[in-house]
Amino acid sequence: MAEVELRNVGQFFRRSGGALVEAVADVSLVIRSHEFVCLIGPSGCGKTTLLQLVAGLTPASQGQISVDGAAIAGPSPERGLVFQRDSVFPWMRTIDNVSYGLKCRGVEKTKRIEIARQYLRQVGLGDVERSWPRELSGGMLKRVAVATVFANSPRVLLMDEPFAALDYVTKLQLHQLLLTLWEQHRPTVLFVTHDVDEAMLLADRIVVMKEGRVVDDRKITLARRRTVESLALPEAVAHKEVLLRHLGLGELVQDRTAPL
Amino acid sequence: MKRTTAHRLTSFGVLVVLAALWQLASILMPYESVPGEPMIPGWQILVTRTFLSLADYWQGGLGVPSVAQGGPRTYAGAALAVLSNSWDTSLRLFTGLTLGVAVGLVAGLAVSWSKWSRRIVALPAQIIRTFPMLALIPMFQLWFGATFLGMALFVAFAVGVIFFTGTVNAVGNVSDIHVDYARTQGASRIQIYRSVILPAMFPELRSSILLSLGTAWTAVIAAEFLGAQTGLGQIIVFAQYFGYVGRMFLVALFLLFYAAITYALFERASRRLTEWMPRELATPDRYGAP
Ligand SMILES: Nc1ncnc2c1ncn2[C@@H]1O[C@H](COP(=O)(O)OP(=O)(O)O)[C@@H](O)[C@H]1O
Ligand SMILES: [Mg+2]
Repeated sequence: MAEVELRNVGQFFRRSGGALVEAVADVSLVIRSHEFVCLIGPSGCGKTTLLQLVAGLTPASQGQISVDGAAIAGPSPERGLVFQRDSVFPWMRTIDNVSYGLKCRGVEKTKRIEIARQYLRQVGLGDVERSWPRELSGGMLKRVAVATVFANSPRVLLMDEPFAALDYVTKLQLHQLLLTLWEQHRPTVLFVTHDVDEAMLLADRIVVMKEGRVVDDRKITLARRRTVESLALPEAVAHKEVLLRHLGLGELVQDRTAPL
Repeated sequence: MKRTTAHRLTSFGVLVVLAALWQLASILMPYESVPGEPMIPGWQILVTRTFLSLADYWQGGLGVPSVAQGGPRTYAGAALAVLSNSWDTSLRLFTGLTLGVAVGLVAGLAVSWSKWSRRIVALPAQIIRTFPMLALIPMFQLWFGATFLGMALFVAFAVGVIFFTGTVNAVGNVSDIHVDYARTQGASRIQIYRSVILPAMFPELRSSILLSLGTAWTAVIAAEFLGAQTGLGQIIVFAQYFGYVGRMFLVALFLLFYAAITYALFERASRRLTEWMPRELATPDRYGAP
């Protein structure tokens, strides 16, 4: 169980010029336990900022964030974060990276290595546990990050455009891997992306942000695991059209009269 | 493997060429600093007469009487003189180096604990770093006299300043993403220092270490210039006083050799700590030898 609630959350930044930027403005949102929510929006609309607030890395300027009714106080391994850029520690071997969070919490060595091994095998990296990150490809590094975050058994999983920099095939493989892990462990997920197809493939619900505000929030009730066929159903296409228009890509949509 | 062999051969070739150039200069410019002392002594003089004359700096013992006591100049005496004076200098150097590294690193980490203290210290630290440390030797001399403590402390001071500023800079340059990654995994402040900040700053700190090795040698020799009773720096000062260019040159060669050894030892010792680094970070050439 992990219900995430944001109430009137806002975040200001001071630009180097001195101007005040409202990166996140009055966001209220309830994410139900086990729900897979994709947060979508154009670049600079405040997605990363919002995720960092939920992670507890920066305290919000305004509003409250709580998990199961308890206000969050700083970062915690129960809210795991997969960063947009590569965050894997280059000075630790793969296995030490994956077991790092467990080590921080005092899990005994044989136990934490066993857990880390199990997740490494599950993401398909069983044979590189002694490798340094510099010896791994971009896709493998993402697998390490995914294994690491699941090894910490988070109740809430936060992902910031985790697969944006990957090639097409690797990205699709990682989607399936993520869904498998999510089905097994059922964390509540907040997944940031700017890729409409990715959101349609993964999400129970898609929240659209624009200029710091939530401008749309829609349930995707398509049956799981979604396939090429199910994503071509009229229901899916209708969602996709609206999302594309939110992103300013209306010219790709035939039916311009449907309401946003 | 093949490439390192090639590198070694090239380095060796360069040394041979330099030695030959010195020899050529000694032939082309047969001037003397004082009668009987060539300004540029050739190798045939350096390895015989000049080296033998270093026996003057042997204080006697181990069955080899000192020249001052009326003993003859022998190769054994010269070798013992070089060894004992090198030992004295090295002891001052490594005491100072160890102290300077420890204090500089701990102070740098302590200041970096809070963003505020780091900001307050950053600018003065930069200014001090450009300050010509050698100008302070006379002051250390007045405070401590020409003692072991005074010289070691001076080395510690010069190294400490480099290490302190290097540490403050390096901590400031550790990327936030790794610190945040550790925080989201439940790492405490101490754990972040140990498992993130220290390893992350090591590539940058390595340049400080190499720099302080060079500085430590400079500092200890300079400290010995003023009134030390033993040590390689003291030999140089006496030699200069009497115009013995050969002795100065020979001692300089020993210093070069020791500096190269300390550098190589450091490289070997840090190999395990740099194993993780991408190759372009791990090659020493990028930072330059001391
Ligand atoms: N640390 C910061 N300091 C100043 N401005 C920031 C900072 N972080 C983000 N911003 C600003 O906040 C806005 C939202 O940024 P971000 O959350 O990174 O957007 P997104 O992830 O949706 O691309 C942008 O205008 C950005 O310039
Ligand atoms: Mg972003």
